[in-house]
Amino acid sequence: MTPIAGGVALNLALGCSVLTILALLVYNRTLDHRLFLLGQRLGLAISFFVFISTFILGYQLFTSNFDIDYVARYTSYETPNIFKISALWAGQSGSLLFWLFILSIFNTITIIQNQDRHLNLMPWVIITMSVIQLFFLILTNFITNPFEPTQADFIVQNGNGLNPLLQNITMAIHPPTLYLGYVGFSVPFAFAFSALVNKDIGALWIRSIRRWTLVAWLFLSVGIILGGWWAYQELGWGGYWAWDPVENASFMPWLTATAFLHSIIVQEKKDMLRVWNMVLIILTFSLCIFGTFLTRSGVMSSVHSFTESSLGPVFLSFVFIILASSFGLMFSRMKVLKSPRKIESVSSRESGFLFNNLIFVVMCFGVFWGTLFPVITEAVNGNKISVGPPFFNQINIPIGLALLALTGIGPMLAWKGTSNDKLVQNFIFPIAFGLLTALVLIILKLTVYTVISFSLCIFVVVAISSEFIKGVRVRKNKFNESIFISLFKMIKKNRSRYGGYIVHLGIVLMFIGFTGHAFDKEKEFGIQIGQTEKVANYNFELIRMYEQERSNHYAWITDLRVTDISGNFVTNLRPEKRVYFHKNPDVNKRQPHSELDIYSTFNKDIYSIFSSVSSDNSTAFVKIMINPLVKWVWIGGYVLAFGTIIALWPRKD
Amino acid sequence: MNTKIFSLIVGVLSVILFWIGWVSLNPSDEKAMARFISVEKLVNNEISSRTKLGGIVKKGSIQISKINQLDCVFVLKEGSAELVVNYSKTRPDLFKDGAEVIVTGEYRNGIFVADELQTKCASRYEGDLREESNYKLEELEI
Repeated sequence: MTPIAGGVALNLALGCSVLTILALLVYNRTLDHRLFLLGQRLGLAISFFVFISTFILGYQLFTSNFDIDYVARYTSYETPNIFKISALWAGQSGSLLFWLFILSIFNTITIIQNQDRHLNLMPWVIITMSVIQLFFLILTNFITNPFEPTQADFIVQNGNGLNPLLQNITMAIHPPTLYLGYVGFSVPFAFAFSALVNKDIGALWIRSIRRWTLVAWLFLSVGIILGGWWAYQELGWGGYWAWDPVENASFMPWLTATAFLHSIIVQEKKDMLRVWNMVLIILTFSLCIFGTFLTRSGVMSSVHSFTESSLGPVFLSFVFIILASSFGLMFSRMKVLKSPRKIESVSSRESGFLFNNLIFVVMCFGVFWGTLFPVITEAVNGNKISVGPPFFNQINIPIGLALLALTGIGPMLAWKGTSNDKLVQNFIFPIAFGLLTALVLIILKLTVYTVISFSLCIFVVVAISSEFIKGVRVRKNKFNESIFISLFKMIKKNRSRYGGYIVHLGIVLMFIGFTGHAFDKEKEFGIQIGQTEKVANYNFELIRMYEQERSNHYAWITDLRVTDISGNFVTNLRPEKRVYFHKNPDVNKRQPHSELDIYSTFNKDIYSIFSSVSSDNSTAFVKIMINPLVKWVWIGGYVLAFGTIIALWPRKD
Repeated sequence: MNTKIFSLIVGVLSVILFWIGWVSLNPSDEKAMARFISVEKLVNNEISSRTKLGGIVKKGSIQISKINQLDCVFVLKEGSAELVVNYSKTRPDLFKDGAEVIVTGEYRNGIFVADELQTKCASRYEGDLREESNYKLEELEI
């Protein structure tokens, strides 16, 4: 009975979304305020029914009701409870319902938050968001319904269980975080669309969505970083980013959204770049839907493509509708959109923002080009060319370094223009420190890119630190405060500016981690108990191999004692070879899984994988990787999140 | 927008777009791109450049060296075409008889020497429940 209620709730949500759109369209013609109120309430009703259906599916997963096909496919009695909940987004229909669930949360917040505000914009904001909800409701009602009963004429006593790769706590958090980011951009997009319809193009719609954009950007950033963290810990190839089509699908909207976050500052402060901001938010939201298309269509082979489905054309059509309607509307409003003010000087902050935008967008194009290169070449000459990480690295490393430089240059430029004296004064120390670093690294014979990257990191750190120092010095002299009080009050008074600078510092730390990749070392070898193998400056001795049966898998464990070159003990690594569904009498149905062990420090990670064991159980085959500076990628991620939260923190007034 | 800024924008755009185009035509790393072709085409034309192949691991064909467990030879089957593949690195967890795999490498003297081996995720997560039935499924006796 309860599963039927889930399906009915989805039907009702679909009905409400159609009625919301109709009520508000009629309101736009008649301006009868009762219709606006009706539209608002129906909008909330859509979300209410979506919440009901999501909770019902969650409950069915938790209680293992295998009469529902989705529950039987993605969970089993052995699946730990936390992963029963995360199974909600493990499969196609569940993940689409989950998307809808998040969209409905955002929709509810937007409607409640703006009950008495932005009354001219809200009707079209609600219409736009309801259309997006309607799209996902059509998918979940008619194409891939998560409440489909199990199509079997036998009793399903236990389900298939969750893919072991997904039985990881990071994996339980990564997709929802990413979804919060993807879906979050529907709010600024809805405001932009409404602003276009209403010809209300000034700084008002920008102000109303700045915080939303930051929230969505924060979640998207954290989601991407968590995805990298999961890949690093679970996939066993020693890296965190493989330029996989689905990774790229999340990176592309991140690039355009980052550009948007910067350029809305220019519109807010100077009322410039109006058209450009429209283009960016339309592109960002379209890329979010396009990302779902890449994940769900099976058009690209990817670690994330657990499914190949008929959803591809539906998503592609929706992306086309979004692009055609938004850009069509934008061109029809071009006269109103044109900004009355122009950028005057190359050395102005607005010009710096423009160039950073340009590079972000071109980088996005580079990633888009590489991702779709196989599809494009196949369409042009029939040859399917597969593009690997070296291609993306070759294109994006120089562009990324240019962006890194701009994170330091931008904050030192003044609005309208920077005088030559000021340019020298602002840049002399950062450039000097950058050059000094380059000189040292050249003497140490590092590669060109490594020298450039580390030098630019120092350049940016000095540039941003000098901004903090200048601000603190002024406050300290003016109010006679201690350094820490001045720093605290300065940040508190100008949260978005200094929060942004902290985000820039986070990016620098991440670049330090990326650059460490140039020094990676790895070795695969067979080793017997008592033997020692040397990798880089470490010795690995196999102490023992043992077995353990756990609730949902069986594990073979190697115990490796790691010592440094002088014989000092460093750590014990215990990578495992697990077999999930190990009680299944059919050997082919059992699923092996390598559980790595990583020893992580600030300057390097020692990464171990237990590949296999010889048939007489005497030799373990192990892969060891020494990955310098990886930890800085994650630390950079924390700093980035911290900076964004500062920028987001609401002011009392 | 003043002419100086406009020229700079055009300049920056041209340089980056030229760079993307140039890398697309002349990737510096041999692993940057690989042609995806059929096993039959590879064998008939004896293509020795870097290629990518897809297919099924022939049942019973996996041979693992007793001296070095990392060294493995198997037969890749695509339709009726077959090809011996040599792979000497850590194998993915889902590599087994009948697994759907993608290999990247070069064809040398009748053997495909692969340096990349990817397995597709097990079909158990999307297939028909009865076909993919596991040990606890029981038929209803009517």
